[in-house]
Amino acid sequence: MLARIEYALRETWASFRRNLTLTLAAVLTSAIALLLVGATFLIQRAFENLLVQWRGDVAMIVFVRSDASPEQVALIDGTLRAAPSVIDVDKLRYLDKAESYAEAQRIFVGDPVTLSLLTPESIPTQFKVVPITQDTDLVRSLADQYRTLPGVEAVALAEDEFEVISTLSGFVRNVTLIMSLVLLAVAVGLIWNTIRTAMFARRREIEVMKLVGATNWFIRIPFMLEGLLQGLIGGVVSCAGVWALNSAWSGGVAAFKPGTGISSLVVPGGYLSGVMLVLLVLGAAIGAIGSAIAASRFLDV
Amino acid sequence: MIKLDGVTKIYGHDTLAVDDVSFDVAKGDFVFLVGPSGSGKSTLLRLMSREEVATQGDVWVAGRNVCEMPPSRVPYLRRSLGNIFQDYKLLLNKTVFENVAFALEVIGKPRHVIREQVPFVLELVGLADKSERFPNQLSGGEQQRVSIARAFVNRPLIMLADEPTGNLDPATSEGIMSLLQEINETGTTVVMATHDHRVVNAMRRRVIQLDRGLVVRDQERGVYE
Ligand SMILES: Nc1ncnc2c1ncn2[C@@H]1O[C@H](COP(=O)(O)OP(=O)(O)OP(=O)(O)O)[C@@H](O)[C@H]1O
Ligand SMILES: [Mg+2]
Repeated sequence: MLARIEYALRETWASFRRNLTLTLAAVLTSAIALLLVGATFLIQRAFENLLVQWRGDVAMIVFVRSDASPEQVALIDGTLRAAPSVIDVDKLRYLDKAESYAEAQRIFVGDPVTLSLLTPESIPTQFKVVPITQDTDLVRSLADQYRTLPGVEAVALAEDEFEVISTLSGFVRNVTLIMSLVLLAVAVGLIWNTIRTAMFARRREIEVMKLVGATNWFIRIPFMLEGLLQGLIGGVVSCAGVWALNSAWSGGVAAFKPGTGISSLVVPGGYLSGVMLVLLVLGAAIGAIGSAIAASRFLDV
Repeated sequence: MIKLDGVTKIYGHDTLAVDDVSFDVAKGDFVFLVGPSGSGKSTLLRLMSREEVATQGDVWVAGRNVCEMPPSRVPYLRRSLGNIFQDYKLLLNKTVFENVAFALEVIGKPRHVIREQVPFVLELVGLADKSERFPNQLSGGEQQRVSIARAFVNRPLIMLADEPTGNLDPATSEGIMSLLQEINETGTTVVMATHDHRVVNAMRRRVIQLDRGLVVRDQERGVYE
């Protein structure tokens, strides 16, 4: 067993050095493809911070003053429910102080100044309103009406704050997603080509191995390891890239004025590590896929 | 040890290489396959080592029906066979020692077995003093000895030799033949395809003559004709 492992590792390393140029190209392409995948994840997550309060077709948010009395809240609730032809009363949601505070922590993740000003006591509570109608003018006139109710602090409309970002985020996601898929396919192709070349260079050895009774797995494993390693190194490089990008971005965002919304575009550290893990796994996967396809050519005895 | 039963091999659609061939080879036998070029000698050897599969009929090798063997078992069949060829098929970037060791290494034999067995067979084929040379530093006859050492190092039950003296002069061929005879005397069955009437006539062993895929003669202690 030990002899087999030693053999596989030795062959993998030798082959790695032999095809240095091809290997570098494959590793680099994998790294770039994975970097783009990572960036897609991060951008998406950053946008989500901005959009979290509008999730689920919410088109209007009625903010209630933190010092409003329960009667005032009940009155607002009653008024909202009195317009069932415009508002989907089943989906009407009221976020109390704790829930509103939890949401704010996501929105202001990159803006500790604003966050420190908010406490679970001082934060406005809110009604999330999902309209039934498509008529935005009607929703807008309702909003004007709600602003005059006692206890209402402000009324925000998705149309004003959300739609540009939503469209932008969708567009960015589609572009980066398609580009990363294309690049991932290219990376698989390059790894396939490297492994195929390595196998071709050693075709006489492979012929002899089959002749003396080496199993197909024994022949294939060093090549598959080589592909796996290429993908994995690509993954490691992309992780470094993603980490550097994110640090630069967070630093840049921190320089903005608090409260501008830009500060939401920051990704929490836990999410970043998750993305890096995904990139490593994905890198190993493209390496395994590329080399498995190349090596399966030698499945036949 | 080897049994062919109504074996037919057709390449592609219409190249009939072996035509309804049946014969038995007993353990320890030494058999020459002779016949003109294209008569199917190499094809018979490749059917035995399962490099080709018979179109019809059964091929039994060392008690196993190789035609019905799943591909995953083929490597284990090959470990009980030793193959040698006219062109030696040595790895030019490996030394004599490494070429022979390679055959053990790739079937997962531990290092102490390699250290023990390789010098032993190199001694047997008379190349103990040249084990650090590369194949292109050896004569044709010496290269063929290396390939015999590689085929024999795992103690196969059967040696399959396809024109092993095809590139060698008569004197060198004689040396190779006496080596094969020595191996045969250890109980190893030898099947050898050849054009070389000199070696066939010198050995006076069993001769199976083929013509266009058919067995036209099967004779104990035969000559080439
Ligand atoms: N892989 C192949 N594909 C198609 N036809 C083949 C193949 N191998 C051999 N043949 C054909 O099968 C027939 C028998 O070939 P084989 O190699 O067995 O002959 P042989 O007796 O070994 O000849 P030689 O003495 O020249 O080596 C020939 O007609 C040859 O052209
Ligand atoms: Mg032949």
